[in-house]
Amino acid sequence: MRVATSTFNNEFIDQLNLLQQNQLRLQNQAATGQKLTLPEDDPAAMQRVLNLQAESLANTQYQNNIAALQNQATSTYGAINGLKTISDRAGEIATLADGTKSPQDLAAYATEVNGLIQQAVQLANTKYQGDYILAGTATGAAPFVATTDSSGNVTAVTYQGNTSVAHSEIAPNVTATAQTLGANTTGSGPRGLITDSGSGADFLNHLITLRNDLQAGNTAAIAATDHPALSKDEDNFLFHISANGTLQAQLTATNNLAAQHSTDLDGQISQDRDADIAQTITQLKSAQTAYSAALQSGSSILNLSILNYLH
Amino acid sequence: MIGLFGILKMGAESLAAQQLGTEVTGQNLANVDNPAYARQRVLLQTATTIQTPIGQQGTGVTAVSIQQVRDALLDNQIKSETSVTGSLAAQQLALQNAEAGLGEQISGTSATGQDGLSAGLSNLFSAFQALTTAPTSLAQRQVLIQTAQGLATQFNQVSSRLSDVHNALNTSIQNDVTSGNQLLGDIASLNKQIVYAEAAGGTANDLVDLRQQKLEALAKLSNITSTAQPNGSVDVSIGGVTMVSGISQVDSLQTYDAGGGQILVRAQTAGTPLTLTSGSIEGEINVRDGALATLQTNINSLAAQLITQVNAIHAGGFDLNGGTGQSFFTGTDAATIGVNSALVADPSQIQASGAAGAAGDNTVALALAQLANNNIAALGNQTFSQNYSQTVAGLGQSISSLNDQVTNHDTVMSMLSTQRSSVSGVSIDEEMTNLMQYQKAYQASAQLITTVNEMLATIIAMKTV
Repeated sequence: MRVATSTFNNEFIDQLNLLQQNQLRLQNQAATGQKLTLPEDDPAAMQRVLNLQAESLANTQYQNNIAALQNQATSTYGAINGLKTISDRAGEIATLADGTKSPQDLAAYATEVNGLIQQAVQLANTKYQGDYILAGTATGAAPFVATTDSSGNVTAVTYQGNTSVAHSEIAPNVTATAQTLGANTTGSGPRGLITDSGSGADFLNHLITLRNDLQAGNTAAIAATDHPALSKDEDNFLFHISANGTLQAQLTATNNLAAQHSTDLDGQISQDRDADIAQTITQLKSAQTAYSAALQSGSSILNLSILNYLH
Repeated sequence: MIGLFGILKMGAESLAAQQLGTEVTGQNLANVDNPAYARQRVLLQTATTIQTPIGQQGTGVTAVSIQQVRDALLDNQIKSETSVTGSLAAQQLALQNAEAGLGEQISGTSATGQDGLSAGLSNLFSAFQALTTAPTSLAQRQVLIQTAQGLATQFNQVSSRLSDVHNALNTSIQNDVTSGNQLLGDIASLNKQIVYAEAAGGTANDLVDLRQQKLEALAKLSNITSTAQPNGSVDVSIGGVTMVSGISQVDSLQTYDAGGGQILVRAQTAGTPLTLTSGSIEGEINVRDGALATLQTNINSLAAQLITQVNAIHAGGFDLNGGTGQSFFTGTDAATIGVNSALVADPSQIQASGAAGAAGDNTVALALAQLANNNIAALGNQTFSQNYSQTVAGLGQSISSLNDQVTNHDTVMSMLSTQRSSVSGVSIDEEMTNLMQYQKAYQASAQLITTVNEMLATIIAMKTV
């Protein structure tokens, strides 16, 4: 084939361009550690990576939700445990307040139970990050409103919250709640902590009744009615402590799964996105060598023509 | 016998012939770097013979023509290939601009920190999720508002950039039409010059080179059909409509609005829309009304469904003050999507609760968060993220396919160019060899004249004596 002067020059330029394009691609891969950057690099891989990244971000948010619920559950546990402690003492007093105690002893017990009632109401109206934690979803107002007499003694407590709880997603289509209802007198749904018609618990009112019976010296009523009632309250607190523990365990287990899933997703993303650095460096060196060889051979041939030999 | 004077004439004509050969060689060497130049050569032929008693006797050499070494088949193939490449290159450039406008790329080593719409969508649903754990938190609501505004702004910017690509394509079409008309005028003018020059005898090689260059430039813009005429002119038609006939330009290209801002091309005089099958004009129209339009439609559908689905859920919720009925997003598509200004001004008006008077209820927030995993019928029964990633992959596939086609056609073009160069290109080595050949022949002819001159002098000296 006849070779014109421009043929060699043009093909040399084309070859250098190809070599430089290859070097640039490999250099970018080596510098970024990625073989996938733009949609045109690998459309199918791009689609997979975008979907996996969306899943990864969602997974991270599930873990954040779990952390938030764990904090709420911890706060709720604090209130439950405090109420349980009060319940323990109230139970002790109900046991001690028998016929052997003097009216002064019973009066002293009554004063103590009065204090327990105020503590219990305070605990029942615990707030977490500005919300009342035992009000159901009516978190804007104190769930337990106490009625007091002229001496400041609590004579009745009414529940102002509702019987709904808020759920959050901790995994795809899996929700959990860290809320505990303060009271549920509907007979169905989540169990109330202070008052629950299903279990017979009505802690605050049972405390008020106990105090009243102590003040009246009615030890028979304390033994026959108050003590059994407080036992139901105690059982209800134990139920909620157990439920809280179960929730914490569920959240921890789910979080562990989410963490493992996050690692798995990162691995899958890496397969499509990341370049094999060792292979990339090797290919880059090979491309550089080829480029260097092309330059060297081209420049030596470019300088040659018949003009070098005409005199 | 032609006699001494005949030999002198023979020598003189030989000198002229070798000189012409040298001139043509000089022309070739001068144009060695001219990509449009086809090498020329002098066609030498023996001069008219005379009859002598001892047979036919030659009378020397004469230059009969200066020929251009050109392969018409290769020229046509290159014209066609240029047209195809022009279309593909225009589409490739436009879609790469669209890819940049979309702004979706994988960067960094983690899923977080990405900047595109994919991350924006994920962040929005993550913000809804976060709100479910703290529905009364004004801080969390503010984060949701900012995240939603960020996503809306991303949609607006992507829409604007894709519109810019669309408008730039329309501008390119108009510029290409202007260039095309200029080239048609140039070709008609060159036809005229060639016809007049060749009517006087010979071929107008340099004008033919220039016209071929113009034809190839025009082919890059649009599919053309060129028909050589006996008088040396070339008729040019585009899309079946004659644009140049003989020495006149009979029609030109014109853009027109086919409706809805769709710029197309027609023949100005004939008024008929042109069927373009290749060239950059066809490529720009193809990509504008094809892949780019599809991308814009998909992005708008995504934004529209996001607005519709989120608002439908949000409107039924209750805010921290018990208010209801407000939309979350405003607008109808990617260009106009925004966040309700009332919510921006007062995040407590985000209607996250499913019940009035229950600020801690997060039913609506949870439904909004779970929208991320819902298959949306209007998006092909895909989730928002799946639909978007499919759109991105579709764009990537279009560009990847074009990249392969451009590479393939560049290879073909390179092969054709190499073949044409092997036929028409100037080789310095070859021309220098020819130059030496003509030089030696010139020297020999000059020596012949000197010898005959001495012989004449001898004869004249005989008379003197």
